[in-house]
Amino acid sequence: MKLGLGKIKDALKGGSEKNTGAEKKELNEEEIEPHRVEEVIVKTKTSEQKSEDEPENEPEKKHMIPVNRSGARRTGLIFFPAFDWAISPTHPEREERLLYTRDQIFEEGLMDLPQIAEYKPRLADFKDIARVHFCVPDIKAQATTPHLIAAGSCLVLADALMRGEVKNAFALIRPPGHHSMTVAHGNRGFCNINNEAILVEYLRKKYGIRRIAIVDTDVHHGDGTQEIFYNDPDVLFISFHQDGRTLYPGSGFMNELGGPKALGRTINIPLPPGTPDEGILYVLDALVMPILKDFRPELVLNSAGQDNHYTDPLANMRFSAQGYAKLNEKLAPDMAVLEGGYAIQSALPYVNTGIILAMAGLDYSCVKEPDFKPGMFVQAARDRQILEGVVSTQLENWNNRDSLVEAEIAKHGDFYRRKKQIFYDTDMIQELQEETVRMCPDCQGYVTIDSRAHRSINDTRIFGVSVPIYACNRCQEEAREEYKKRLNSPVYEYVYLQDKKADEYRAYNIRTKQETVY
Amino acid sequence: MLIGIDVGGTTTDAVLIQNGEVYSTAKVPTDAGNLLKSLIGALDEVSRGVPPENFKRVVFSTTVITNLIAEGKTDRVALLLIPGPGVNPASYVFPDSFYLKGAMDYRGREIQPLDEAEVRETVNRIREQGFSRAAVVSKFGQRNPSHELRVEEILREMYPGCKVELGHKVSGKLNFPRRVATSMLASATGERYQGFVAEIKKALEERKIRAPVYILKADGGTLPIEKSVEFPVETIFSGPAASTIGALALTPEGQTSVVVDIGGTTTDLALILSGKPLIASKGARLGNFLTHVRAFAVRSIAVGGDSIVRVRETGDGLRKVTIGPERAGPAYCMGGEKPTPTDALRVLGLVEVGDPERAKDAITAVASSLGKPKTEAASLIVDATAEMIAQAVREMFLEWEQEPAYRIWEVLQEKKVRPENVVGVGGGAKGLIAGVAEKLNAKPVIPDHSEVGNAIGAAVARPTLTLNLRIDTQQKVYSVAEEGEIVSLNSTDIGNFNRMRSEEAESLATKLLRERAKRFGVSKYADEAEVVSSEVFNVVEGWFTAGRLFDVSMQIPAGLIPEWDRREKA
Ligand SMILES: [Zn+2]
Ligand SMILES: [Zn+2]
Ligand SMILES: [Zn+2]
Repeated sequence: MKLGLGKIKDALKGGSEKNTGAEKKELNEEEIEPHRVEEVIVKTKTSEQKSEDEPENEPEKKHMIPVNRSGARRTGLIFFPAFDWAISPTHPEREERLLYTRDQIFEEGLMDLPQIAEYKPRLADFKDIARVHFCVPDIKAQATTPHLIAAGSCLVLADALMRGEVKNAFALIRPPGHHSMTVAHGNRGFCNINNEAILVEYLRKKYGIRRIAIVDTDVHHGDGTQEIFYNDPDVLFISFHQDGRTLYPGSGFMNELGGPKALGRTINIPLPPGTPDEGILYVLDALVMPILKDFRPELVLNSAGQDNHYTDPLANMRFSAQGYAKLNEKLAPDMAVLEGGYAIQSALPYVNTGIILAMAGLDYSCVKEPDFKPGMFVQAARDRQILEGVVSTQLENWNNRDSLVEAEIAKHGDFYRRKKQIFYDTDMIQELQEETVRMCPDCQGYVTIDSRAHRSINDTRIFGVSVPIYACNRCQEEAREEYKKRLNSPVYEYVYLQDKKADEYRAYNIRTKQETVY
Repeated sequence: MLIGIDVGGTTTDAVLIQNGEVYSTAKVPTDAGNLLKSLIGALDEVSRGVPPENFKRVVFSTTVITNLIAEGKTDRVALLLIPGPGVNPASYVFPDSFYLKGAMDYRGREIQPLDEAEVRETVNRIREQGFSRAAVVSKFGQRNPSHELRVEEILREMYPGCKVELGHKVSGKLNFPRRVATSMLASATGERYQGFVAEIKKALEERKIRAPVYILKADGGTLPIEKSVEFPVETIFSGPAASTIGALALTPEGQTSVVVDIGGTTTDLALILSGKPLIASKGARLGNFLTHVRAFAVRSIAVGGDSIVRVRETGDGLRKVTIGPERAGPAYCMGGEKPTPTDALRVLGLVEVGDPERAKDAITAVASSLGKPKTEAASLIVDATAEMIAQAVREMFLEWEQEPAYRIWEVLQEKKVRPENVVGVGGGAKGLIAGVAEKLNAKPVIPDHSEVGNAIGAAVARPTLTLNLRIDTQQKVYSVAEEGEIVSLNSTDIGNFNRMRSEEAESLATKLLRERAKRFGVSKYADEAEVVSSEVFNVVEGWFTAGRLFDVSMQIPAGLIPEWDRREKA
């Protein structure tokens, strides 16, 4: 037979390296490279000019300047399934969780696509953890190796993003983190340390990013992330989740709007059980996107849980792989970080394939669960009304945020206090907290936390002081004074200083009189 | 006596080894249009005067498959693809594709049946369109090949003359697009490769050479030539594999080396880490196609002895030399037209090829353009060339360090190895290796017979074999990726499947590897098999363990036959 396989030959001449489309275009864009360099320089100048108009409370150390990403074409990906780690053999958060996802994304050949750049995970430093948490008794106890790798993976991708190597990034990692709060006494909702919060503080410290929006798309309320940024007007936290009256952790109601100086920067969107794609995408279009547009964040992060899926064993929603892909296409997050999602066979392989394709700007129309039929879930009319109510209430709160803040500040003197009760479901710990925020006229104010944890017969009491990265000098001094005052107080076992402005972190063990500095 | 022959792009090199020593060598120019002639020519020259019954083993490495593909001398293949849900198949760039309904999931459970009417209709179409070959590949076909097998049955029934390749037989690894590409290339080259093998056998017959004949694979292992017709694509890139095994044979055991093969236009690099050639974490790339072919991690850079040397003005008004990427034809001192690194090496007295006066003229031209003395210009050229090679080596190590990791132990593993030796093989290495080694803070090694290191590699390479076993105790089956059979666990002597431990999975893998080694005629090396990785996952359904998944990966790694008397030959 004389017929040659001419097309194979042509393809060989191309000298490119993949089995799927769009290579020509890639090469053309490659040639534009020199202009990109110029753009970078121009952009650098504008961002320097801009910083002159910004408030004076800048962090003390000079940070690196993020590179303009408009020329980046690829989606950064870390797949860290922690195949050698589990909470316990049959726990939902176990080795097997991302096994079938691995099979699916590897079989699809996603890692070979020229639109995907796969990165290697690394361990986060203890300092990265200390920037967010007061770990009791110490960081080693809360952040074990797998936790450090999950958090470190987010940081690797953050660097790739800030260096302009990738246009966006997805940390497909476990264990998750969005239920972890500032004080970490143990594991809550399968989380020990908060990956997104560690990522946010890293981006702020290293790259001087100021305004960040976190959209928590996990079916559970992202109560940990909410608590960590509750008083921070620079971080917009939006969480949609199954209504807290019907699901763990039982919070995330519309009246949780943020601390006095950050009211409206926490937006909770409780969804009725059974909400399908239609409802979630409606909330996204009608509420989340307009607020984001208004807030103008420098970065949008998706705290990307996959437990809204219609087959998830731990919740009752009806989201599909197509819905997740659409959500990520619309939201277009700069970075997504995997949170929950426990339908490890029926949902995760398809949902993750859909999200990766959507973030990479590729066709996801053929991604579907084996049993999915378009139109199989319809939004109930009553639920639609509930959602419309949520949207209008929260839009009003958002639009009135400045007057809400003004009115609230007037109610408090120099300090704002609130008491909290926190339950650690995994480790069966009952925690009582008193949080105090300095109502500073010049900055968001430092925060102190007095926390008492009760675990079986043991009680642990700690005290922590946190200085925000953009705190004023007076707050920084006062806060450091607060820390020193507690060092001789026998009621506490551990005292912590978290000075994000100076990037200095201290933990003091009252009994041994030893101080650890990170 | 052992014969090794490497059919390279420019020359075909041969070596004859007796009692662990090189007995004779030969080099003939490669005739790209007639590889067989080059191969036999080198064979005749190296074995001149030796009675054929003295030969114990003959090993070839050949570019025949690479050439067939590059020249478009391949046959048309109809691709019958069963992609199921996921990436839109419209984005694949495979030619002649026919998509079929049907789908398997990641555990090999059918999620959509085949549409037999559609299959029959498609078979009619491929016949009408004049295809005489088909490759049938389904996504997750390696987890359950029943769709591929049923399509094959229908093909055989309706179109008996059609040659059929099945995806799961070609590779059991995850990655559907790579499996499609590999199956397509295997089918497209199979027949011509078979013809090539038949001609070799005939030529050996005529010379009364009855010794077993092997072909070298891209992973540095030998495969009996009769077996190789089942896996033609595995023989691509056997040239760099031959050089790497050659370097392994010519350097002390257990060391970390970078193997540098400097040619006229390109330089090929490979790594030996603590005595083991580094295998690429993913399969080899063939032009536009990524495949599942297991190959050494090799890197080829566009710099060589005959690269054009130019002087360029940099932005700040300084002048510097640049090397390549194009070739200038032969070096100026060899009658070429442009100055090359070879001319610089000649001027510095580091090589003794060509006309010294012409080399001087070439470098004088560069020197005057640079505004520097001649010797300094020559040094700058050699330094720039060595730096390009050294930089590529650094990048290779970095890439290896940065390979993705999916397990905690892999992240914790310190990958910070640097080469102890820079081993030069092939013709062009002599003058440059010292410079490269100095930049890498390593020892330059140019072994005896390095100019035929590739042929030595072919002569002394041993067989390799892989086996990837997957056991699913919930579905009570096991499968060997390389063989495509789904076998009931009841056929094994494992008692209680749900109590099964990793040791039992590994001993089943070992047993299967021995059987496979026997079928390949390499039982002698079965004891060299090692477990590369072994994993177990509990399949939990509703808080109870419903079964276990085991993945055991074993290999007989690349290495040397015991007949090679290994010692430091540098
Ligand atoms: Zn949420
Ligand atoms: Zn969740
Ligand atoms: Zn202040």
